[in-house]
Amino acid sequence: MNNARRFVSSALTIAEMEARKIRHDSTELWMRGVQPALWLLIFGEVFNALRGLAPGGYTYIQYIAPGVLAQSVLFIAIFYGITIVWERDVGLLTKLLSTPSPRLSVVVGKALAAGVRGVFQGIMIFALALIIGVQLRFDPLDIAGVFVVVILFAMCFAAFSMTLASLLKTRDRMMGIGQAITIPLFFASNAIYPISLMPYWLQVASRFNPLTYVVDAMRSMLLTGDYSGLPVDILALLLSTFFFIACASTVLKRLIE
Amino acid sequence: MRSLTKIYSDGNKAVDDISFNVHEGEIFGLLGPNGAGKTTTIKMITTLAKPTSGQISVFGVDALRAPQETRRMFGFVPQAISVDGDLTGYENLLIFAKLFFVDRDERKNRILDALEYFGLADKGDVLVKNYSGGMMRRLEIAQALVNRPKILFLDEPSIGLDPYSKKQVVEQVQELNKEFGTTILITTHDMAEADALCDRLSIMNGGKIAITGAPSDLKRSVGGDVLTVKTSGHAISGMPPGLGSVVSSEPGTVKVLVEDGDTAIPRVTDYFERAGATVESVSLSRPTLDDVFMKYAQGGLDEGSFREARSTRRSIARYGR
Ligand SMILES: Nc1ncnc2c1ncn2[C@@H]1O[C@H](COP(=O)(O)OP(=O)(O)OP(=O)(O)O)[C@@H](O)[C@H]1O
Ligand SMILES: [Mg+2]
Repeated sequence: MNNARRFVSSALTIAEMEARKIRHDSTELWMRGVQPALWLLIFGEVFNALRGLAPGGYTYIQYIAPGVLAQSVLFIAIFYGITIVWERDVGLLTKLLSTPSPRLSVVVGKALAAGVRGVFQGIMIFALALIIGVQLRFDPLDIAGVFVVVILFAMCFAAFSMTLASLLKTRDRMMGIGQAITIPLFFASNAIYPISLMPYWLQVASRFNPLTYVVDAMRSMLLTGDYSGLPVDILALLLSTFFFIACASTVLKRLIE
Repeated sequence: MRSLTKIYSDGNKAVDDISFNVHEGEIFGLLGPNGAGKTTTIKMITTLAKPTSGQISVFGVDALRAPQETRRMFGFVPQAISVDGDLTGYENLLIFAKLFFVDRDERKNRILDALEYFGLADKGDVLVKNYSGGMMRRLEIAQALVNRPKILFLDEPSIGLDPYSKKQVVEQVQELNKEFGTTILITTHDMAEADALCDRLSIMNGGKIAITGAPSDLKRSVGGDVLTVKTSGHAISGMPPGLGSVVSSEPGTVKVLVEDGDTAIPRVTDYFERAGATVESVSLSRPTLDDVFMKYAQGGLDEGSFREARSTRRSIARYGR
């Protein structure tokens, strides 16, 4: 086997490990579906009454559906660092790193695993949207596109979170930082309101927020069908994903030393 | 495996400029008190921790330059149990077989063999969190074997095992060594186990290696087998050199230092009787690896005490003659 194939095979194996765990016990997966459901059902329904909040003549619940999806993937991914710290604590990470698999493939594999979980979130939210009758463009290609974005996005933030975990090293600190990061990221994005409604400084901040690009990409595929912003969105997302994966695989070693 | 020197420090020097060779095909023990640096040493060899300085070479491969290639030759059983509780036993082995790039068509057989070998064949489809501690340990060792390692690192493999399972693990390790010629590096706090298993061993203390040698040589270095002979009648105060040497001679009790206690008993008895003494009882006390450990693991061994130990032995020998 050549190096590239080994790399891919290792990364897929690590993702497979996660998939098998989900198959054995999917309780967590369902619990993770509760929060986005609440956002859609309560927040969405309440604000639905306010006409004009969402641009382009969409209902508010239509508008935030992609945002809620992005947010729930973000939550999963950002707490991936905690998982990896836990795996370090019980010796699993040491064990993984004692195999000949390259470290980069361990990071990519773990990030992919976050992507797998993200896809399940997507399926749940789509199902919910269908049930409560949220009008989205359920075009197969668009859905596929959304899943690609979900996977990339989950990988991006899982890698970011693993980078943080390698530097912070304890579960408690990761819990703290997770909370401290997700909420501002969420509010400084176009997930639940348009950027045009933000004060100027926040508009600037939102430009540097990967979540903004993700939500924009999802919204264009699920709602507007206007793909003009898509290349920029995908490029921004790809760049940050590569960047954080590179970061994580450089510092991951620190976690076991 | 060739010469290997390394200094490691992260604030404190956990491993301080040690060197040792492990020969191909042998079982090598690394003993030492808690915190001696055994785990740290293993981590460095398995490329999990980077040495501050020094070289590690494994079958001619530089472990620091080609860590991935080196790791392919390794099986590693860490000190703490680290099989994945959320997967089944079979899956634990499957994932590792894949991560070690075991050929697809060989995977299944190897996994089933390994499970069978460690008595887990009927537990393969059970989630590991429902295993007992000892079963997890055995799975852990099985996992380290799916890639048919050239060198197996066992960091206290018998920790938390009942005497029966312990014996099983020891036997399996021995069998592995004999059957596949696997080189084994093991750390343990169980001296009897180390004595039974190891061809050679090192005792570490405070990050340094205090002494290296075969268990029998080490035991001899803290004093040979001593026969305590209870006699009546004619007193014996000397012995022919080939037989042993008298360490102390009091009325009725003679202590004799001999090479090999078991074979010496009849010969010494014979000698005593012919010299006109009546032997009432002979008891044999052998130094154990515990004695060796106590000697080298306490307070660190400096040159002085080593020389002192040797000279005491020599004077015992001279005294006898
Ligand atoms: N990650 C670490 N960071 C800092 N110091 C460490 C680290 N790991 C170990 N040490 C220190 O290095 C020394 C050697 O530890 P090591 O775990 O190698 O001992 P050991 O011989 O395996 O002991 P035991 O028999 O208890 O397993 C100890 O003083 C320990 O405190
Ligand atoms: Mg240890």
